Amino acid sequence: MPAKELTRPCMDCKDAEAILTTRKRSLCSHCFKLFIQFKILRRMDGHKAPPKIQKEYLPSKLLLPLSLGVSSSVLLHILDWQLERQRSNPHSRVAYQLHVLVIEPSTISPSNSSFDSNFEGLQKTFPTHIFTRLPFYSVFEYVPEMKELILEYAGPQFADDSSQSDEARLAAFRGSVSSATSKDDLDNVLLTRLVVAFAKQDACETILWGDSDTRLSAKTLAGAAKGRGASLTWQVSDGMSPWGVQFEFPLRDINKPELQQYKSVCPELSNIVIPDQPIPDNILTKNLSIDELMMRYVETQGAKYPGVMANVSRTANKLQAAGSDDPASCALCGSLVGNVKGNTGITVASQFGESQGSQFCYGCSRSRPEIKS
Amino acid sequence: MAPTLCFNCKEARALIIRPKNRHKLCRACFLEVFETEVHETITTFKLFYPGERVAIGASGGKDSTVLAAVLKILNERYRYGLDLCLLSIDEGIRGYRDDSLETVKRNAKQYDMPLMIVGYGELYGWTMDQVVEQIGKKGNCTYCGVFRRQALDRGAARLEIKHVVTGHNADDVAETVMMNLLRGDLPRLSRGTSIVTASGASEIKRSKPLKYAYEKEIVLYAHHRQLDYFSTECIYSPEAFRGSARTLIKDLEKIRPSSILDIVKSGEDMAVLVPGETNPNGKTCRSKAAAEDEAEAGGCGSQNGRSSGGEMAAMETQLAENEAAGSRETEIRLPQQPKPGSSKTQKPIKRQVMGHCERCGYISSQRVCKACTLLDGLNRNRPKTAIEVSASMDDEEISSTLARQMEHTQLTNS
Repeated sequence: MPAKELTRPCMDCKDAEAILTTRKRSLCSHCFKLFIQFKILRRMDGHKAPPKIQKEYLPSKLLLPLSLGVSSSVLLHILDWQLERQRSNPHSRVAYQLHVLVIEPSTISPSNSSFDSNFEGLQKTFPTHIFTRLPFYSVFEYVPEMKELILEYAGPQFADDSSQSDEARLAAFRGSVSSATSKDDLDNVLLTRLVVAFAKQDACETILWGDSDTRLSAKTLAGAAKGRGASLTWQVSDGMSPWGVQFEFPLRDINKPELQQYKSVCPELSNIVIPDQPIPDNILTKNLSIDELMMRYVETQGAKYPGVMANVSRTANKLQAAGSDDPASCALCGSLVGNVKGNTGITVASQFGESQGSQFCYGCSRSRPEIKS
Repeated sequence: MAPTLCFNCKEARALIIRPKNRHKLCRACFLEVFETEVHETITTFKLFYPGERVAIGASGGKDSTVLAAVLKILNERYRYGLDLCLLSIDEGIRGYRDDSLETVKRNAKQYDMPLMIVGYGELYGWTMDQVVEQIGKKGNCTYCGVFRRQALDRGAARLEIKHVVTGHNADDVAETVMMNLLRGDLPRLSRGTSIVTASGASEIKRSKPLKYAYEKEIVLYAHHRQLDYFSTECIYSPEAFRGSARTLIKDLEKIRPSSILDIVKSGEDMAVLVPGETNPNGKTCRSKAAAEDEAEAGGCGSQNGRSSGGEMAAMETQLAENEAAGSRETEIRLPQQPKPGSSKTQKPIKRQVMGHCERCGYISSQRVCKACTLLDGLNRNRPKTAIEVSASMDDEEISSTLARQMEHTQLTNS
């Protein structure tokens, strides 16, 4: 039989038309999907079921926080595909159970419209997993001490009205934070706390974060820039978090553009993913948050030097969590507090005077509302 | 509108907005706060002991001029009992260094400190101008950095001084942290953040009393005290990673002024987390390799983000090749190896052992130190026809020439 006439054959199977180029290789959609799936499943090697001949096995519970952005949606798609294969294979067992947590995007940013249809699409496309949706303000319910913490953290200027709903109180707190950087920083802290508290309540031993490699590199640089270098060991590295829940980042070998490509060859994701809101080009640098600046930096530099940018997150992943003599951790973000005191000698008109012996860490005291930055 | 009063004394009119925290201060309070912060840095980290002889690495630029001025004041005000002198390196860059050296000579008079100048030409047989002529404008900062490191040590040894202070400021340290994150160099990140670099093998201790001082505040301080400094930047181009890091830091400072300190803080915290760098207090770097390393980690502080991008492109190519090679490899696993989930288990880290360079006797982890290796490369390519002292010299002779040239180094009395 004569070979098929292909203008640009896929470099892997040589049997189909290549439709995209990734890492200098032209691939068809099937082979490209396999390539990405392989990269991610290799990161999931730690969650394997023992062979069937062995005795009873209870699949572990893993929590996947889903932002409905490209990255976490692709992660869900791939893990679903893996579980589906395990389920249909009579010789293998299902290694883990996936719980998907969606924090309602409209409660995080008012510019996000209702996502009901996306959520429905989600449940229809992936019917075998357990889905939970929570509003952002349920952080008060899941982390009961949070109300008091916020009061103390925000200081006397912040007037809390306990007669108000959780929703209004969270909005008031977020409104009291003046700079874009601190806002993003604290949102991330609160979201992490909510996800972790949910995972613990739900007895999930591991949280699978859907951060792309691009995002991890940006988080590394932003963490360093915000004085949170000490917590990079769990914020971007795979490992134990301060709350006894394992953090893993299975997308760490795949960058954002590659995940976009993956999404583009999966039509079933199109009615699930909420597209990113692009940062307008004309915004002044000083009005960006540090997280946004770093994401933009890694994305633009990554277009030219993808390897160098990927190497940033790989480098951060090599840091080793240190045992500390002073294991007190920040009441808010969970990082070690021990470091706040080490800052005498920096500023005489001390911003740190009040935080001596504080329960908040260096990074959190930088984002405190009363410290105008 | 009534003039804003100083945040500190609440009496005088505020003239200066502090870049560090945007407090509005009067001139006198700003100068005092700046000096007190340096003093606090010095006492917190116990940088000096009474009676210590200290050489100030002076380039004539703003950082080292301010350092000299502040140290002189603090030494008198708080009775440190230090014996201060200036130590300058003449890289041999015409149109840049010759002019700045004039500034240093004036400073020596103004501050009444002895001055010593050590030249690359006399030490290595190569001025930077000649190096650049030979290897071009790219990558010459490596030569300059490696040479300067040794030159400062040799100059200090000449003066029988065991402590050199340099004008590295918070911006420089922050830049080093970001740069080493970008190029994935954790050991260097760890070393670059410590305020003191002492090493077991080297007699000479280095410290950075301006580690927590902002570049902008240094400029303001120099301006308001009307210090005599030289403000032209080095005419040769910076390294791309440092340039990229510098741009990033300028942007960060616009967003959140405390960022520079925050990066320094992150760097200090991360230093403790670098595998293989046991650095329990995070303040004093005991790494033996630090001595030969800091020159590169510190840079020359005169780059402003002009960059060719050559180094980043080179690293990109290298990483891409590594990845391509990785997919061609077959992984062979031994049966008893830990399961892949526990990928955190580390291979034993190869420790650097310090010895002395065979050629010049300078401390080095290698058989031949970096400076001699670089010199080898330079000398090999030096045109044989040129009339040069070192043109026909064998490699082995370099050490004796170096030693001889050191003999000629004079203590210049201004």
